[in-house]
Amino acid sequence: MKILIIEDEQEIAKSIKDYFKTNGIQCETAENYALALDKIDNYNYDCILLDLMLPDGDGFDILKELKNKNKTEGVIIISAKETLDSRIEGFNLGADDFLTKPFHLSELLVRMQALIRRKNFKGNNNVIFNEINIDILSKTVTINNKKLDLTKKEIDLLLFLIGNNNKVLSKGAIAEHLSGDMADMLDNHDFIYAHIKNLKKKLNTAGSGDYIKTIYGLGYKWEDD
Amino acid sequence: MTKKLLQKTTNQFLLFSAIVLLISGLIFYYITNYFYIEETDEFIENHKKEFVKYQLPTFKISDVSLWNKYNKNEILIPSHRVTKDTYFTKIYYVQIEEEKQPFRELNSPIFIEGKPYTYTVKINIIKNKHLVRSIAKLFFIIIIILMLGILIIVKISSKRLWKPFYDTLQQIQGFELDKNKTPVFISTKIDEFDQLNKSLSKLIEKNISIYKSQREFVENAAHELQTPLALFQTKIDTLLQLELSKEQSSILSSLNNDVSRFNRLNKNLLLLSKIDNGNYLEKNIIILNDFINKHLDFFTEQAKAKNLSIVTEFNTELSITGNSSLTEVLINNLFLNAIRHNVMNGKIIIRIEDNMLTFLNTGQPKLMVIDKLFNRFSKTNPSSQGNGLGLAIIKKITELNQWQINYAFDNNLHVFSIKF
Repeated sequence: MKILIIEDEQEIAKSIKDYFKTNGIQCETAENYALALDKIDNYNYDCILLDLMLPDGDGFDILKELKNKNKTEGVIIISAKETLDSRIEGFNLGADDFLTKPFHLSELLVRMQALIRRKNFKGNNNVIFNEINIDILSKTVTINNKKLDLTKKEIDLLLFLIGNNNKVLSKGAIAEHLSGDMADMLDNHDFIYAHIKNLKKKLNTAGSGDYIKTIYGLGYKWEDD
Repeated sequence: MTKKLLQKTTNQFLLFSAIVLLISGLIFYYITNYFYIEETDEFIENHKKEFVKYQLPTFKISDVSLWNKYNKNEILIPSHRVTKDTYFTKIYYVQIEEEKQPFRELNSPIFIEGKPYTYTVKINIIKNKHLVRSIAKLFFIIIIILMLGILIIVKISSKRLWKPFYDTLQQIQGFELDKNKTPVFISTKIDEFDQLNKSLSKLIEKNISIYKSQREFVENAAHELQTPLALFQTKIDTLLQLELSKEQSSILSSLNNDVSRFNRLNKNLLLLSKIDNGNYLEKNIIILNDFINKHLDFFTEQAKAKNLSIVTEFNTELSITGNSSLTEVLINNLFLNAIRHNVMNGKIIIRIEDNMLTFLNTGQPKLMVIDKLFNRFSKTNPSSQGNGLGLAIIKKITELNQWQINYAFDNNLHVFSIKF
């Protein structure tokens, strides 16, 4: 899988690149408008991460350019602009998702995976991890072909963990993924503990491996050992 | 009660005209009266002159009784009652009309055959009452015609004259700084209005430009702060993936808390400045009950850590008009406030009554200085995780919508109530 990160802040681009590398995602970066256009002209990507404010141009113009060239890459806007207007303009110009800075890398990763799944619709819409099979469309989870009864939030959590396979997820990142903007207001993210506990119990009872590891003080990790 | 400018000036006009007419009416009455009396005096004097010239030379004392018999208003009385010609007004009872009437009378001394007589001549004058009434009637008619005239002229001409003013007024009333619709004033030939329009245009232009630069500043500030925050966040996420010692983990964990606190603070400050800039003026009708129910699950989850019970007492369906994003922030903040400042195993009651939303919660009775409660960055518990902006935001939102928020500590419960 190959993605293009259009972002003038080199350190953010590098962090994304490093984070995605371990998931077998190949990242290229473009730190300005001209370079980005050049890359879009010459290569095809599975997904483009687009910052709106570039030193030599506007991210929206890149979206227009993609449309003119009939490119079908999925686009996720990553921006510090969080006004409703810029969101709407982004979606109108053909962006698929919008993530406001600051964001968690784990959140970006699962959103990108979801986007690519949607884009490659012809294949099945399943996420498979060893004996666990998640059907995204019907929202059903099976373990060894046996249906598992999970709440919507638990499926969401499971997808988030599997999507960030082998990575430590902070409680804050999980809370934000599960409750969106509301998580910003919370003093602590202890409620995550209860969700993890329930999910773990249901998976174990259904005969799945013990993949969820607790990282002391920090958060949790999905790990295939 | 305020009156229109036009009506005020018209009223003054009318009052002035009425006073002038009344005074001139009075003066007119006295002048008329004076000339009338003068004419009457001249008339009776002529009578006397005629008598003295044509009758007196051949008049005998024996003729007096006969003369007096046939002349009612021109009689001769023996002896001198007066020594010279005297004019005066006297009231006589007139038999035939059965009422008292004023007469003008002249008494003059004469001699008939060497004996002194008084020649008395009198003439009926118009009664004062009649004169006053006639003059008053006349003036009343003049006043009414004059006032009607003034009213009509003022109405017609001023409507035309003041039209540019009302046009301008209407434009300004419809003007909102955040909507990109600059008023266009109709050009007028009246200097004052022209100046008014010019000054207003200048004022509006200046305000719009200040407003725009402020909004730009907010957006730029958001960008400038959020980019380093994003860097901070992504680096922590990267750092999390490394093999860490227990000590490093705990530092990273607290760093994680700090960055989310920083993020929260930044978001709240942005929200406050956006409210100040009027970014949330769009309003909808919101059914508060549904709004609260929608988030109840989330907050029930949050309340579990303190084992709080949340009770809703919806006595009615309350629909309000407000900005939905801000109303959401308002309710979330009230909820969080009730959870944050609660005690273990406490409770939260959310009550909806007619026009009133109330959050009641158990908590430490020790109390905050109430007037400082809603100030920015005022914290009751310095060690709490809150940034002291939650209540300030609540206050701001209620002010923006002209809702009333009240705090009370009642029956061992903290009570925040909002009247819509």
